[in-house]
Amino acid sequence: MLYKKYLKMHLKSSFEYRLNTIFVGVSQSLITVGELLALYFMFQTFESVGPWGFYECLLMFGILMTAYPIVECFFRGYDNFSLLVKFGELDRLLVRPVNIHYQILGSKIEFSKIGRVFVGIIASVIALLNLNITFTFAKILVLIASYLCAICFFLGVFVLSAGISVFTIEKMEFLNIITNGSKELANYPINIYTKWITRFFTFVLPVACFNYLPLSYLMDVGNLPSWLYAISPIFGMLFAVPCFAFFNLSLKKYQGTGT
Amino acid sequence: MSNIIEFNNINKEFKIFLRDKGLWGAIKGLFKRKHKLIKALNNVCFEIQEGDIVGYIGPNGAGKSTTIKIMSGILTPTSGQCKINGYIPWKDRKKYVKSIGVVFGQRSQLWWDVPVRDSFELLKDIYNIPTEEYQKTLDILIDILKIGELLDRPLRQLSLGQKMKCELAGALLHKPKILFLDEPTIGLDAVTKLAVRDFVKYINKEWKTTVILTTHDMTDIDALTNKVILIGKGKILYNGSFEYLKNKYANEKTITVEFLKEYDKIEVEGYNVVSHDKNVAVLKNFPQTIFNTQKFLQTITQKYEIVDFSVNTISVDEVLAKLYKEFNL
Repeated sequence: MLYKKYLKMHLKSSFEYRLNTIFVGVSQSLITVGELLALYFMFQTFESVGPWGFYECLLMFGILMTAYPIVECFFRGYDNFSLLVKFGELDRLLVRPVNIHYQILGSKIEFSKIGRVFVGIIASVIALLNLNITFTFAKILVLIASYLCAICFFLGVFVLSAGISVFTIEKMEFLNIITNGSKELANYPINIYTKWITRFFTFVLPVACFNYLPLSYLMDVGNLPSWLYAISPIFGMLFAVPCFAFFNLSLKKYQGTGT
Repeated sequence: MSNIIEFNNINKEFKIFLRDKGLWGAIKGLFKRKHKLIKALNNVCFEIQEGDIVGYIGPNGAGKSTTIKIMSGILTPTSGQCKINGYIPWKDRKKYVKSIGVVFGQRSQLWWDVPVRDSFELLKDIYNIPTEEYQKTLDILIDILKIGELLDRPLRQLSLGQKMKCELAGALLHKPKILFLDEPTIGLDAVTKLAVRDFVKYINKEWKTTVILTTHDMTDIDALTNKVILIGKGKILYNGSFEYLKNKYANEKTITVEFLKEYDKIEVEGYNVVSHDKNVAVLKNFPQTIFNTQKFLQTITQKYEIVDFSVNTISVDEVLAKLYKEFNL
């Protein structure tokens, strides 16, 4: 399979700079561990954030910190797409008989992010062991869907920025606000912020869908009917659809205008 | 021979946005954008036959790369028809590109940090080449390009010429019917340049590959092509053999004459005195004068005593410079 070959190539590339890859991986994991400690110490001072306790927040943090580095590792090609446009690499991809998305996926895989995924998984496990959740089959599904939703969300943001960079060539810094902003925000339950922020990050950028909404279902709390909480991750995943549509449209435009 | 490439009235317009000068202009540009239409290609028509080696020439910005991009399916033209190898490049892109190979002289398709062989293996998967066929083609390519010992080294350790050889091999692994070369010899030393040329000739002869190359190196054109297409300001200006162009312009000779003594003034009928310093003069024939050694010597020795003389025909580079000048490029 072609993707396997791409993986192998990237592994080989990073082995050329073994020490560097390991150092970057370790230091990035340490940053994540630092953020985790910050969360812990904050809860030493303020026992709860709104209705949410430490382990609830830890689970949200865990979901975020598992999903985001996965996207950074395997879907980095979209994030770096502006460089492909800038240096004419896109033309090179277009003269090959393989789907362009496949080639973008293959264009960059960053293994140094893997370490952070482990930190995210460990945080999730600690949280799940300490939370009083009576697991049902549906709850397990919703939990898995939350991880997938987070992956889809950040993938969507990357794809969106890739689509925009077709026109601007330079990567737009304001898009980092979306990526990093939502990442920072999602560290805490979104519903502790003012109403319009909560709404914005539910319906426009569906950060809440892998944040407090599915958690409400898992914890059997909240005022809305529980099925709404349960399907929220599915709603969040849909975010990626218009992003991909926009990207494909931009690509068509590129072929039309050759910007 | 049948036409493998047909370009029929291809037009390509680009919209470019104009911005006023300075900071204020940049701010104004955020709200109100003026734009200008640029005609990159203007009713471009040409045909290329199977097995041709075509030189696609023209000054920078003439529309060469736009044409190449349309031919390789990257860009969609604004209007016009184009059929290559039975496909419309931008419509049947994925099927079409299997039959072409593209080498962008300044950009690599091989991986920087891994051995060249691995990059080739990736291309094998991308083009879905059966293992046996791949091995056979690779053996031939290694043999003609002499890249056997380069394959196990990462690309970053190779010299420019070695890289270009590997690049060529990479573009031909799937045995394309048409090969686009965008400035393949740029920056190469003389030996490598010759090797690249021999290679292009070889695949053209043995594999019947049609080759379209853009270059600013006229010796490439002279050595390789049987046809040139000259483009300027988006229009095709000439389409035919390079020999014809050469003969047309090579009529001009530059003659350097050394005289026995210093003459005050030198005048030769039918010739223009370009420079005259002490006992050496440089002459050029008028366009209507056809240079003939015997006649020239007779004319000049009637009036002056000469020691030595030499005749220079203009170089291929000068042919092109004259051509560009003639078309106001």
